Amino acid sequence: MDKELIQQIRDKARNLLEEGTVEGVIGYERASDGVTSRPLFVYNPSDTERLIYDETCAHNLVKYLLDKKGKKMAVVVKPCDSRAINLLLNEGQIERDNVFIIGVGCPGMVETNWNHKSETLQAKCRTCQLSKPVVYDFLAGGEIERQAEEETYSDITEEEAKSVATRRGFWLEQFGHCIRCYACRQVCPGCYCPVCFAERLDPLWLGIRIAPEENDMWQTIRSFHLAGRCIGCNECERVCPVGIPLSLLNRKLEKDVKELFAFQAGLDPEEKPPFATFKKEEVMEFEK
Amino acid sequence: MTTEIKSSKDEVRTGVYICHCGTNIAGTVDVAEVAEYASHLNSVVAARVYRFMCSEPGQEMIKQDIKELGLNRVVVASCSPTMHEPTFRKTCEQAGLNRHLFQMANIREHCSWVTEDHEKATEKAKALVRAAVRRVFFHEPLEVREVPVNSSTLVVGGGIAGIQAALQIANSRHKVYLVERDPSIGGHMIQLDKTFPTLDCSACILTPNMSEVGSHPYVELLTYSEVEELSGYVGNFKAKIRKKARYVDEEKCTGCGVCQGKCPWKVTSEFEMGLGQRKAIYIPFPQAVPNVPVIDRENCAYFQKGKCRACEKFCEAGAIKFDDEEKIIEVEVGNVILATGFQTFDPSVAAQYGYGEFDDIITGLEFERLCNATGPTGGNIQLKDGSVPRSVAIVHCVGSRDEEFHEYCSRVCCMYALKHSHLIKEKTDAQVCQIFTDIRCFGKDYEDFYERLVEEGANFVRGKVQQVANANGKGTDRGKLTITTEDPDNGKVNQVFADMVVLCTAIEPQQDADQVAHTFSVSLKADGFLLERHPKLDPVATRTDGIYVVGCCQGPKDIPDTVSQASAAAAKVLAVITRGVVELEASTAVIDEDLCSGCRICNLLCPYSAISFDDEKKISTINEALCKGCGTCVAACPSGAITHRHFTTEEVMAEIEGVLV
Repeated sequence: MDKELIQQIRDKARNLLEEGTVEGVIGYERASDGVTSRPLFVYNPSDTERLIYDETCAHNLVKYLLDKKGKKMAVVVKPCDSRAINLLLNEGQIERDNVFIIGVGCPGMVETNWNHKSETLQAKCRTCQLSKPVVYDFLAGGEIERQAEEETYSDITEEEAKSVATRRGFWLEQFGHCIRCYACRQVCPGCYCPVCFAERLDPLWLGIRIAPEENDMWQTIRSFHLAGRCIGCNECERVCPVGIPLSLLNRKLEKDVKELFAFQAGLDPEEKPPFATFKKEEVMEFEK
Repeated sequence: MTTEIKSSKDEVRTGVYICHCGTNIAGTVDVAEVAEYASHLNSVVAARVYRFMCSEPGQEMIKQDIKELGLNRVVVASCSPTMHEPTFRKTCEQAGLNRHLFQMANIREHCSWVTEDHEKATEKAKALVRAAVRRVFFHEPLEVREVPVNSSTLVVGGGIAGIQAALQIANSRHKVYLVERDPSIGGHMIQLDKTFPTLDCSACILTPNMSEVGSHPYVELLTYSEVEELSGYVGNFKAKIRKKARYVDEEKCTGCGVCQGKCPWKVTSEFEMGLGQRKAIYIPFPQAVPNVPVIDRENCAYFQKGKCRACEKFCEAGAIKFDDEEKIIEVEVGNVILATGFQTFDPSVAAQYGYGEFDDIITGLEFERLCNATGPTGGNIQLKDGSVPRSVAIVHCVGSRDEEFHEYCSRVCCMYALKHSHLIKEKTDAQVCQIFTDIRCFGKDYEDFYERLVEEGANFVRGKVQQVANANGKGTDRGKLTITTEDPDNGKVNQVFADMVVLCTAIEPQQDADQVAHTFSVSLKADGFLLERHPKLDPVATRTDGIYVVGCCQGPKDIPDTVSQASAAAAKVLAVITRGVVELEASTAVIDEDLCSGCRICNLLCPYSAISFDDEKKISTINEALCKGCGTCVAACPSGAITHRHFTTEEVMAEIEGVLV
């Protein structure tokens, strides 16, 4: 644990609460196993001493801002999570003036289990090159230089090379495990529809059965709803209780959108996403 | 295997009408079998066939059934709804049924015309009818609202098309804004010398109209101006017009022309096609309307070097305004006529014609200036060295009917080539040779003109030009340029010698036609011209209500056709103005407030700017008066919060299921 960095987070949080700049601070605290961490909502300056930050703080806390609309909140944000802030600003879900971003550099998050943390970096961290958040108001601990250990899309190109039948077989097998707990949706900062299509009754887009067709439908629509919007925090894959490799789907779409529209979600709060704009050239091509 | 539709509206009574369309449908589809099938579908109380449903008796049959059988849903299975949906909607209305309780099944274009096998075609027709019956079950009556029409009209482009349309409308005492981007109106027609086939002087027949439109109490002339932006809908458009800085006060200027005389800087004249010169402050041609000069900032000594101001010194009216700035003017109009014209093909991109490489190879439009009494040579047809040509070759189809450039025929070149031939014969003793692919003289009195020219003794050589070369040294007594041609039929190569070559260059879309299409929400055809609503039956309307296209921006055409189109568009505009109201689209989009997440994607995408964001409720709202029911937002809404009236999920799903089961 970087003591100095944690102290900076605590001081800033205390300061913001005492001065009344924000109503609350969303950060991390040590979990009850004494090893891993969990989200913490601080409303009282004295509770800021519970705030921590280390390589077990994987949660993307930006998701919680969606529950605090209209309130002034501070949030501890890692480089990858910070793209979610831009996404939500871009899509009108949060207001910049209402959010104070305590940015932190990131050494890479490790794989954890209850009462245990490994030495292995999470897959998303092995390809990450962000040395600091893309947006922040205060940067605790300064930038951390990062060298990607792996090429970003090497696993995707590997998948792309396989035959359609092989890939189809692989995904049917994976989706067969899905128990439709919707944890992937609950944790995703990009999933915020007031009523999810999966729960609409009229029309009933998706049956309630846990069966192959319904599971395929759920997973396909979920990933397509995030095409050009997924910011790569990979929380969906982390929380999936049956271990479906959702990042393969999300990153395949991210790669496609990047190639087709030269766009990556969450890097710029002003740039409008490709599916929310049309360009004159595109119209022409369509009309011909 | 039809499944029962569990109906909450147990009163639904549907009539199904299947059209033979002569043999168009009945020749392939067993219409009686389809009717028999339809009669057993849920909610259907009558299923009939008729030879032409769109005929009076056909429509009468529907009306009678509505009244006698108490029908509250009608399905007609016939042609495309773009043809007759309005017809049958009206039929329903005349019998007291809301027009939206009607649905059309297209069993002609979608079925009989594209299916050879009679059995398969009949099965498909049944499926399409079944889908329509299921869909119409869920239709709701929609109210059609009317809003008043603004009686002003915007005409874009001040060539003959725009002038004609503007005058026709203004003469009925309705306001017209005529916008022209050049300093004067007149367009290409004012550059022409004579007009075929009557040989009237082009300026003589155009200038009375120019001056009439210039001083008309119901016309506001906005020259040196361009339309930046158009919003709204038929009856209620708003246009932003950028009036460029002229640097001359139009109110004060008397048009005396002293400034032009005193200006020391000479520039190549655009009006003279580069054959003559003008000054930096200039009136483009003597009959210009308005007769007010403009300062060409790029070539003005004062603007470029900081001193001169000669024009200002000599202007007695004090009209020179060096501090003039461009202005944005906003106008409200009910209709818009696009008459943005054309440009001519640049032959220098086709190396075989030698244009730009050798002297005395000129385009048709350059020849017009050369021939014109007010042109750079005072109307003398002469070579660059001042001598009179002894032979002239006129090359047809330069850039037209050419796979490499434009595949279409430019429709005027044959005729003006013959006219040029006549003018050359009239003014010189030169031999004229027409190098052509086909001679097309299709207009009224055009054939007579052709016969007359043949009698005058023009030579005709059939062929496509392979090369134009300098022939000095061989056969110089017959001309200094050699034109090598190849007959497209037999490949026979010919050589023609001439002192001067006139290239009949193609009419092509303005370079910024795509920008015009974008600004006014109209479509372009693949050839780059603006697209009309229907090539035969609605040739001056576009798919955007209230926007019309006339003249060469819609496709190459001659002056009589252009004038006819302009008058047609004016008549259409006046019809809208006279009616006084327009119907608003009833099939609009509505947002479910509880489902909207406020992401504003629809705000960005709406092509009619009909969606705004309610800052208090944090949701998007649709202005129904502006919504045209295009459905873009419905498809784009990530939360599925937007419903399209008359295209509800329920209706569309019922239709899809109807096709599939």
